[in-house]
Amino acid sequence: MPSLTIDNRKIQVADGTNLLEAARQAGVKIPSLCYLRGVQAIGSCRVCMVEVKGAKTLLASCVTAAAEGMEVQTNSPRAREARRTMVELILSDHEGDCQTCDRNVDCELQAIASDLGIRQVTYAGTKSKRMTDASTPALVRDTAKCVSCRRCVTVCGQTQGVAAIFPQGRGFASVIGPAFASQLSDVVCVQCGQCAAVCPVGAISERDEIAKVWEALDDPKKTVVVQTAPAIRAALGECFGYAPGTLVTGKMVSALRQMGFDRVFDTNFAADLTILEEGTELLTRLKKAIVEKQQVALPMFTSCSPGWIRYAEHFWPDMLPNVSTCKSPQQMFGAVAKTYFAEKIGKKPEDMFVVSVMPCTAKKYESQRPEMYSSGARDVDVVLTTRELGRMIRQAGIDFTALPDGQMDSILGASSGAADIFANTGGVMEAALRTVYEIVTGRELPFENLHIAPIEGLAGVKEAALKIEGTVSDWSFLEGVTVKVAVAHGLGNARLLIERIKAGEHYHFVEVMTCPGGCIGGGGQPRLTTDEIRLARIAAIYREDEGKPIRKSHNNPEVAAIYKEYLTKPLGEKSHHLLHTRYTARERV
Amino acid sequence: MNSTRMHLLMCFGTGCVSSGAEKVRDALVKELVARGLTDEAAVGDLDGVGAEGVLPYAARASGEVAVVNTGCNGFCACGPLMVVYPGGFFYQKLTPEDMPELVEEHVLKGRPVERLMFRHPVTQAVIPHYADIPFFARQNLRVLHNKGRISATSIEEYIGRGGYIAAAKALLEMTPASIIEEVKKSGLRGRGGAGFPTGTKWEFAAKPKSDQKYFLCNADEGDPGAFMDRSVLESDPHAVIEGMLIGARAIGANQGYIYCRAEYPLAIERLTLAISQCRERGLLGRDVLGTGFDFDIDIARGSGAFVCGEETALMRSIEGKRGEPRPRPPFPALAGLWEKPTVLNNVETLANIPLIIAHGAQWFRSVGTEKSPGTKIFALTGKVNNVGLVEVNMGVPLGEIIYDIGGGIPNGKKFKAAQIGGPSGGCIPKEHLNVPVDYESITALGAIMGSGGLIVMDEDSCMVDMTRFFLEFTQDESCGKCTPCRVGTRRMLEILERICTGKGEEGDIERLIELSKTISDTALCGLGQTAPNPVLSNIRFFRHEFEEHIRDKKCRAGVCAELVRAPCQNACPAGVDIPGFISLTGEKRYNEALVLHRERNPFVAVCARVCFHPCEGKCRRSTLDEPLSVRAVKRFLADQEVGFQIPAAIGNGANVDRKVAIVGAGPAGLSCAYFLARLGYRPTVFEAADKPGGMLLQAIPAYRLPRDILANEIRGIAEMGVTIKTKKKLGTDFSLTDLKDQGFEAVFLGVGAPQGMGLGMKGEDMKGVVDALGFLKEYNLTGKAKVGKNVVVIGGGNAAVDAARTSLRLGAETATVVYRRTRAEMPAYEEEVEEAEREGVKFEFLAAPLELVEKSGKVSAAKFRTMELGEFDRTGRRKPVAKGENDYTLPADMVIAAIGQTLKPAELFDGVTVRLNERQYLAADPVTGQTSVEWVFAGGDAASGPSSVVEAIAAGEKAAAGIDRFLTGADHALWRESRVVNTFFDPEADPVMANRPGLKLLPLARRSGTFAEVETTWARAVALGETKRCLRCDYREQPTEMPRGTVAAAHLAVPAAAAAAAK
Repeated sequence: MPSLTIDNRKIQVADGTNLLEAARQAGVKIPSLCYLRGVQAIGSCRVCMVEVKGAKTLLASCVTAAAEGMEVQTNSPRAREARRTMVELILSDHEGDCQTCDRNVDCELQAIASDLGIRQVTYAGTKSKRMTDASTPALVRDTAKCVSCRRCVTVCGQTQGVAAIFPQGRGFASVIGPAFASQLSDVVCVQCGQCAAVCPVGAISERDEIAKVWEALDDPKKTVVVQTAPAIRAALGECFGYAPGTLVTGKMVSALRQMGFDRVFDTNFAADLTILEEGTELLTRLKKAIVEKQQVALPMFTSCSPGWIRYAEHFWPDMLPNVSTCKSPQQMFGAVAKTYFAEKIGKKPEDMFVVSVMPCTAKKYESQRPEMYSSGARDVDVVLTTRELGRMIRQAGIDFTALPDGQMDSILGASSGAADIFANTGGVMEAALRTVYEIVTGRELPFENLHIAPIEGLAGVKEAALKIEGTVSDWSFLEGVTVKVAVAHGLGNARLLIERIKAGEHYHFVEVMTCPGGCIGGGGQPRLTTDEIRLARIAAIYREDEGKPIRKSHNNPEVAAIYKEYLTKPLGEKSHHLLHTRYTARERV
Repeated sequence: MNSTRMHLLMCFGTGCVSSGAEKVRDALVKELVARGLTDEAAVGDLDGVGAEGVLPYAARASGEVAVVNTGCNGFCACGPLMVVYPGGFFYQKLTPEDMPELVEEHVLKGRPVERLMFRHPVTQAVIPHYADIPFFARQNLRVLHNKGRISATSIEEYIGRGGYIAAAKALLEMTPASIIEEVKKSGLRGRGGAGFPTGTKWEFAAKPKSDQKYFLCNADEGDPGAFMDRSVLESDPHAVIEGMLIGARAIGANQGYIYCRAEYPLAIERLTLAISQCRERGLLGRDVLGTGFDFDIDIARGSGAFVCGEETALMRSIEGKRGEPRPRPPFPALAGLWEKPTVLNNVETLANIPLIIAHGAQWFRSVGTEKSPGTKIFALTGKVNNVGLVEVNMGVPLGEIIYDIGGGIPNGKKFKAAQIGGPSGGCIPKEHLNVPVDYESITALGAIMGSGGLIVMDEDSCMVDMTRFFLEFTQDESCGKCTPCRVGTRRMLEILERICTGKGEEGDIERLIELSKTISDTALCGLGQTAPNPVLSNIRFFRHEFEEHIRDKKCRAGVCAELVRAPCQNACPAGVDIPGFISLTGEKRYNEALVLHRERNPFVAVCARVCFHPCEGKCRRSTLDEPLSVRAVKRFLADQEVGFQIPAAIGNGANVDRKVAIVGAGPAGLSCAYFLARLGYRPTVFEAADKPGGMLLQAIPAYRLPRDILANEIRGIAEMGVTIKTKKKLGTDFSLTDLKDQGFEAVFLGVGAPQGMGLGMKGEDMKGVVDALGFLKEYNLTGKAKVGKNVVVIGGGNAAVDAARTSLRLGAETATVVYRRTRAEMPAYEEEVEEAEREGVKFEFLAAPLELVEKSGKVSAAKFRTMELGEFDRTGRRKPVAKGENDYTLPADMVIAAIGQTLKPAELFDGVTVRLNERQYLAADPVTGQTSVEWVFAGGDAASGPSSVVEAIAAGEKAAAGIDRFLTGADHALWRESRVVNTFFDPEADPVMANRPGLKLLPLARRSGTFAEVETTWARAVALGETKRCLRCDYREQPTEMPRGTVAAAHLAVPAAAAAAAK
């Protein structure tokens, strides 16, 4: 517990605290571009320079550990001038078309330049070559805006273990990007968008598809329906100044309706549907393994997260049989919206236009996969991220904060609390077990408030064991079986878990979500997502779940209705056609 | 089998291999085999061996004579080279064709071949023996003791020279703690550059407990021009391995890596072989020497990124990651390679270790300085005669390395600076040649010791361009991780690039300094933190060159292409379009040539005789055969003049009424008058003597510059509207205030530095003792002067030589010039010295006057003390110091002091006082000539101190432009614009090789007793032929406008009305 002086204030901090955090605790905000708490401390941008008594040079506060007796000046003329020069140098190599940049007023560099009061760039000069990469459906890169902070490199390489982008070349000519100046589509990029989520500037962003949505809304021949993912309702408010973790479900519904969507539906409906399909698939696999003694791919992996799917296709093709064949809730929704719902309102699939709002950039990619045309048309036409929805609401001139709370439309709008928690890491697993356990035993999941505490929270790999006792007659083969489940979020953790499985660890069911924290930390969520923000959003989702009258997927009346009226039963013929998919082993390049 | 009677040691370092050592060796072996001097086995293997290029013949060939492939010998400038034992004969620059003779004569008949031996660069004397060549003689080969002595591929030869004894001692007799103690006691500091104490580093890494530690060798040498480590690895790889073995034992490491760049294939090949030899003999691997200690070494190849020499980046690279530095702490001693405790030492550091362990710390400390003990290897390159690898004791003066070992600067050029420490280092200028080469002293001068790169630069090196080069290097090699290095050095490079291309702006120097400081203070690693060092160092010592580039758009070294139309023109202080007038002369368009010359310099005929022609020193033709004889062509041209050819006036009519005064009718004043006249002014020149001409008349004897020639050119200037009033002496006949009162709006002071300096010794006021200038002036103005029988002239400048030659012409029996330095340091023009010698002037060098001896009221002799050259002084020349008390006396009834001239400014001023510079001359703006008094301008010797005619002319021109700007507020110096000369030139034609014709001189017999001109003019055919040798460096496919210097307006006070009128 070293004590030190920061700007003449004495402070004691925990061991290993860096000076930037220590200063924050002392009430001093040191600007920085490359530092990302808990993710990256590499001292590359040199903006957070401070003067430490006795040190020969200035020190980057993000990589300097607080030490006993240290005397730190964060605002000495020397530190202040150096900081200004660093930011000016970065600006001198930055394509400063701020007004037309999607990060306008939401840009960390802009904010720092403003905080430091920079009014001119002393050392102007040539700028880095512009290379734009719009090769993937999900992401657009613009090297002219890149400030080489390398947050994306660390997130892609370490958090996600994908390493699709890293520094290329040397010196001023160095660029962050895929190897050999290739494009993202040529490499193993899983399009999770975590790079975009941490980018301090507009160098990596989601592909903006707002215009396509306006076009559809303006087309009188189209019935435009929108589905909203569970994770966005705990984050969209941040686009309008609400604190992270504020639930804005009702206002969001009102906004969408005001913008002209014909129906405002809920991806949650499809999440409940997923639980029934996936739960049944799990029980079927278990039955085959235990009763019929067949070779069955176990553990079964969840399949809701398209980044994870692409990661598995590239990195773990031998594990693909283990991945549930269920489509993600987004795609299940698209398929039933353009069939079941379209028939209800007497429309053909091609007259329908399905928009999803997702916390995710990979969903943009997923909606374009060739497997996702089971309605006869493309099941989901446009995917917007939470950020895009926020911008679209602004474009429509809607005063979001003043909106009344609206209600989702029927017949694809009802949902259980189990569907809400799809947003959180561990949530799909919990939702599945709430249903599976009740099907098998006829009793509620024996956890307090239906929450399986061991698989909640931000630990990288979580696991739980559940002994099944008192089974109903159909599922008596599971009597006494201890079901072992595991949960990983962030692909780096997924790798750890898979390696553990390959080393002989046995599980029955494994949930993988691509992004740290689950969908609430998705690549399309408002920037910047930190662990505190993740926890706030997770808590909000659990609140939403707990506030619902129905908390188990199999109790959703609209889900019951669709099986009764249309699908007949989980894993039935129609389900197989509309709600399930297949995977392709891909090269690792 | 015969025992081997002769060893032929051939250098197979990279330098010699690339200059053809393999072919020489093959020819040699063929020759030896043909004569039965070595056995057939070698012949059979010839092709294979040749292809590999490194296998030692010695290991295979048996017979009377053995050929040994050694590692780098060090004297790369002389490769391919061979040392023959017995005898230690040194053969250089060998070709395959030399081999039959060498074998026949030396090997068979025992007659060494003189033709192939080394010659002293100055005296040309043959030096047969290796050890006598100054390059080797002044070195102390410790680390390099095996270089060129053993086969680099034979562990037996290494062991035979005491190798691995230290390792055995360390492993068998010493504890890790005692090894570290010994290294600490030795005071060895890291030879990679930063100089961190090696023993301390080991101690840090020895302390932590760890399941695994690593010992690394940094062989990622990357400084431009540096090849110390490569040579050690190539010539003595086992020394490095032994050092690592000892170090690994000391810190408890089991695995070592040598990080070597792939560009060093020979080093890697030899290391690989050496490692496998060690493994076979139990020196590496498990249970080394049966001690239970395991240690093995692998080679990690780098791909040549400079930043990978930084320790944290190097470790990342070995780990297989992108070689980028990371912040420290944690230091590698605690968490290095794969986060394990790691020591990284440089090649040379490690090669010192076996010596320290074998001979002890005390022995190691016996050379070098207290804080920097031991020796240091330098790679001596650049503008130095003996390029190569040198090992010297720490603390030797830098100048000794350059002059004694390096043999000085080639082609008689002047030393400018030595770049030490590579891209993180700096330049040491001539003022500091005495600096002892040790860590602290070098750092105090803003450079760093670095790894040993030592690049010598001469007057042809542009310091701004050099700075740009290093920044370009840094930019290319920056990893791009941190902002200051990635973007900051780029911005610095851009500023330097614009300065080099004539687009520099006021404030650029300050911007560079600011940015440098910030980058040093903020960059992540050593590479970035030290990247600005060359910039700061060069601005510190060569700021004037930066300022010239920015303000005058001038690159004095003639390097920056955009600022240099042709090197000769660039070298001319007056900026005369030399290729232009030469080519016009070649087309017999004499009048055009004369007019073109007078665009920048009115004194064609004068300069054709007395100019020291810096243009010829920069002539590119010298790289083909010999420089163009510009002055002789000019002499021919001047002799063709009919009338006085001048360019058209370019001034406005209003200037006629503006009064400008010029004080002093020397070259500066007359040149100023000439250019003012061209602008339409009618200046008045006030001259103290009764004839105009200044030093041209008073100091330069008629045999060099005939009176009518001088008078003719002065008359030409006067006829342009210049009034010359003689016998008007400033301070006596009038004052500056008077001029002001008479309505003169501006005054140019071209009063020269006319006072001779006294000898400052006993007897100098005696009868018979005169100063050179007074003596020459007396004769030149009156036509007569008294001269003694035995004249002794003290000094080494032109005045000394002129005084001696004049004395002989006036009837002296002997004239002896005594100079305290050597002929090489004489400031007098070489051709004048030569002619003086031919006319019978005697020269005594290395003698300083002690006292003058009196006899019957007048001087009778001069006593001298013998000197030798000692330390370097601030001019970069060696200071003469007394060599004991070897005094001698020369009889003299006349002693002429020619030791310098000066200005006595107090005599000039009355009421108006012009500020002086630190040398006590008039302080004048180098661009405009303006002094601290805004209406007073100055130039020539009065402002610069004694200098050349052409520099005075240039100063007059600058002042004329400055005065005009002062009076009108605008720049009218249109003559400074480059002109397109429409002479024929075929850029495709190959130049025809031809030496320059000699000067045409008056026969000696016709010189004595007369002042007839010594140099005469060439025949037309010779002159026209010479013009064709011009390479036309001025030629451009498209006429390009050269950037023009700005007339600095810093303290110009322009009358509002005049400024308005100018618009």
